[in-house]
Amino acid sequence: QEAAKYEKKVMVLDFVMPTPLGNSWGLGGTCVNVGCIPKKLMHQAALLGQALQDSHKYGWQFTEEVKHNWMTMTESVQNYIGSLNWGYRVSLREKNVTYENAYGEFVGPHTVKATNKRGVEKLYTAERFLIATGERPRYLGIPGDNKYCISSDDLFSLPYCPGKTLVVGASYVALECAGFLAGLGLDVTVMVRSILLRGFDQDIANKIGEYMEEHGINFIREFVPIKVEQIEEGTPGRLKVTAKSTTGNQIIEGEYNTVLLAIGRDACTRKIGLDKVGVKINEKTGKIPVNDEEQTNVPYIYAVGDILQDKLELTPVAIQAGRLLVQRLYGGATTKCDYVNVPTTVFTPLEYGACGYSEETAVEKFGEENIEVYHSHFWPLEWTVPSRDNNKCYAKIICNIQDKERVIGFHVLGPSAGEITQGFAAAMKCGLTKEQLDSTIGIHPVCAEV
Amino acid sequence: MGWEEKQVRGYSEFVQTAQRYHGRPIFALFCGDKDAAGRSWCPDCVTAEPVVRKELHNMPDESVFIYCLVGDRTYWKDPNNEFRKNLKLTGVPTLLKYGTPQKLVEEECFKAELVRMLFTED
Repeated sequence: QEAAKYEKKVMVLDFVMPTPLGNSWGLGGTCVNVGCIPKKLMHQAALLGQALQDSHKYGWQFTEEVKHNWMTMTESVQNYIGSLNWGYRVSLREKNVTYENAYGEFVGPHTVKATNKRGVEKLYTAERFLIATGERPRYLGIPGDNKYCISSDDLFSLPYCPGKTLVVGASYVALECAGFLAGLGLDVTVMVRSILLRGFDQDIANKIGEYMEEHGINFIREFVPIKVEQIEEGTPGRLKVTAKSTTGNQIIEGEYNTVLLAIGRDACTRKIGLDKVGVKINEKTGKIPVNDEEQTNVPYIYAVGDILQDKLELTPVAIQAGRLLVQRLYGGATTKCDYVNVPTTVFTPLEYGACGYSEETAVEKFGEENIEVYHSHFWPLEWTVPSRDNNKCYAKIICNIQDKERVIGFHVLGPSAGEITQGFAAAMKCGLTKEQLDSTIGIHPVCAEV
Repeated sequence: MGWEEKQVRGYSEFVQTAQRYHGRPIFALFCGDKDAAGRSWCPDCVTAEPVVRKELHNMPDESVFIYCLVGDRTYWKDPNNEFRKNLKLTGVPTLLKYGTPQKLVEEECFKAELVRMLFTED
């Protein structure tokens, strides 16, 4: 849409390869259809369940038992997503961007072939190309995984309640899904191979794990599934999972209605003909290395988003990089995308917002003696009345002593962490120092004042 | 078989008609009432109607096109009218595919390409 503003003739080729279970979706990419949007809505559904519980202590009286209906929630979520898909179609059309629901692949210099779902092929040529194909969930490669397991691609439109669920993985996807499924009242177990939330501040990752465990989510640590078999067909059916320890020879078995795989995502770069045009990719990870102007090794081919090597896998980053790229190409701008101090939030039952360095990375980069960590537990006022945990919420900032105690890492664990973090990210971009933070008077009574 | 048109006036007639054709693709155009001379109080509806009618042949076979007059201007302006409350309509003209989030509102209905997209999208 940005390029169309500059009167360029633009075409979008969007195609979703169906999941092993046959699931597909509309225009908008992962975030809209099987990522951030449905995730946050289901997380909210779980939070509302908690709020109903808390409400008794605040004086709300109701005698009927409150139950959750999976189908009602899924229908509302999918309806909303449908309106977004439609909105994008209208938007592209209004801005004169040609849209084809077809699978694009390079077949030669400046040429792509687009194949639609009926197998009809068309060839298109263009001056420049932008690859933003994103990633898809990885499967384990064990017997039964394709046939019986689901991934996040299937979860948000699952036409039946998943029931007793085993979540395999310790990524934020795994923990967020485990979190809201449990919040909706389901029996959830998380099977973790080694650590939680690799790449995130481990001190906080462990607190998140602890909180989830204390709130009814089972964790099986240091095991990996080696086989999934079906005991009984159904919606949901019954599955038997066999797992092996990573530290010895112990084998365990468990029965679940649903097995959700969330062990990682792989870039969709292997089957789009990149070899035909000479675009180099990292053979091991499938990611595309680009320069700081998002250009691949082939000058007329650019890439943005999750497929980039060594860049953050976040929707707003991809969007920003894409927009700035077009402004540089056609609008005479020179601004490059700033990948530093990008705020993120993990929507686990206890939300985690972060911006900047984790404690470990800060120590590694600057040396332990050069950083100062300030931290505090806090008890949200709203949690006091219903007697919820008084020592779980936590905030910490990491400062660089050598640079006027500049805040280089911000971490908060508590309700509405995402909302809190956004403002601090802007402050960090302005070079926030500890002194400035101290001299900012807090809003009371809110969590952010800590 | 092609498509057929049903003309209705008011909310209950609309709902009854939509229910009767459950299972077939249903498209609906909502416009303000017309006076004795056949002109609507809603100028945008006057502009949109011919554009929509010209694209009707693009609807899939077996479709039902419901042309619905919503009422007079006063009724429409009432924020609690049934169309606003139950169908979540926000303006006239509105062209929508019943039972889906797909719709075009006001000036969007003037654009033949968007109307065609609504009729042919799946």
